Amino acid sequence: MRFRVVIKRVKAGGEPRFDAFDVEADPSESVLDVVERISLEKDRTLAFEHACHHGVCGACGMVINGVERLACITRIGEVAKGGVVVLEPLRGFKVISDLAVDKSRMFGKYKLVTPSTLEIVDGGLQEVQLEKLYDCIECGICYSACPIANTFPEYLGPSLLALISKSGDGKVPAVVDSRAGVWACHAAFECSVRCPVGFKPGESIMRLRRRLLKGELRVEG
Amino acid sequence: MGLREVLESWFRLKGRSLEHLSFAARRLAGIIMALYLLLHLVDISTLALGEEAYSALLNLFSGRLGLLADSLLWSILVIHGTLGVYSAFVEAGYFLQHRRTLLVMAWISAIMLIAIGVWVIAGVLA
Ligand code: SF4
Ligand code: FES
Repeated sequence: MRFRVVIKRVKAGGEPRFDAFDVEADPSESVLDVVERISLEKDRTLAFEHACHHGVCGACGMVINGVERLACITRIGEVAKGGVVVLEPLRGFKVISDLAVDKSRMFGKYKLVTPSTLEIVDGGLQEVQLEKLYDCIECGICYSACPIANTFPEYLGPSLLALISKSGDGKVPAVVDSRAGVWACHAAFECSVRCPVGFKPGESIMRLRRRLLKGELRVEG
Repeated sequence: MGLREVLESWFRLKGRSLEHLSFAARRLAGIIMALYLLLHLVDISTLALGEEAYSALLNLFSGRLGLLADSLLWSILVIHGTLGVYSAFVEAGYFLQHRRTLLVMAWISAIMLIAIGVWVIAGVLA
């Protein structure tokens, strides 16, 4: 089947522009596969990120026909509208080049997260403590989908607050209890709806708030 | 960040969830109410020009225009209020698992209250 892939191009110093590429692809092929073919066969200067190709590394997040998704697990036939697929970089981050964004806004604040991998998993009959790594794949989709993270650069952001909420040692840095922290969130919940692994950052932020309101957390710094 | 980007982000509707659409509706209703407050300050200040000027302005909003303006204002008030109640619960961390149900209930209440309000306004202005 023939698809028209329209890609937002942003190069250093230049104005953003849209380039269209006509490609043959099977509707069940992933958007990432098609982007890679475009890069190999049509435009070697196209910049984008990927690594694992199966929804684990979080590198290939992009806005596909207006919605944030991981390109590697998105079938082109399912998202194309009239055979057209528009690809844009994630919102809420500085664009490095084309579809590649600088996620240091998220990674740069990881020092606020207390290292802890222990999560209480509700086993149904009783609560069992299990050693489990958190599921966030650090794709940044929640920042891009959040109307507040998009318009308030100081906001710590959904995934970071969700990780802090799971730190579990009863203390949070003062910035969490500030306008740039949990109080910036306005319950649009688009982060939870779009998160490709169901990490539910929106719910975590609200729980963090409830614990702060009840005085269950110690605010430090 | 420009005003255009901010408005685009808040009021982006394509491909968004019911939660995001409700966030946008709540925010838009809030902005319109703030603008209405400014407008209201202007309209009551016509009192300074005398009773006649004030009455002339009020007469503008009798009949159909009044019904339309009052119905719109009531609808905006109701949307902001009902979605505000939803948001007060979930933003304090309650009913998180049932937030969709709560949101649907908020919209149903909003539609019912709007219908009742418009009916009452139409009766008063008739
Ligand atoms: S919380 Fe979900 S959407 Fe956000 S960075 Fe982690 S995996 Fe991605
Ligand atoms: S390439 Fe790793 S998540 Fe898509």
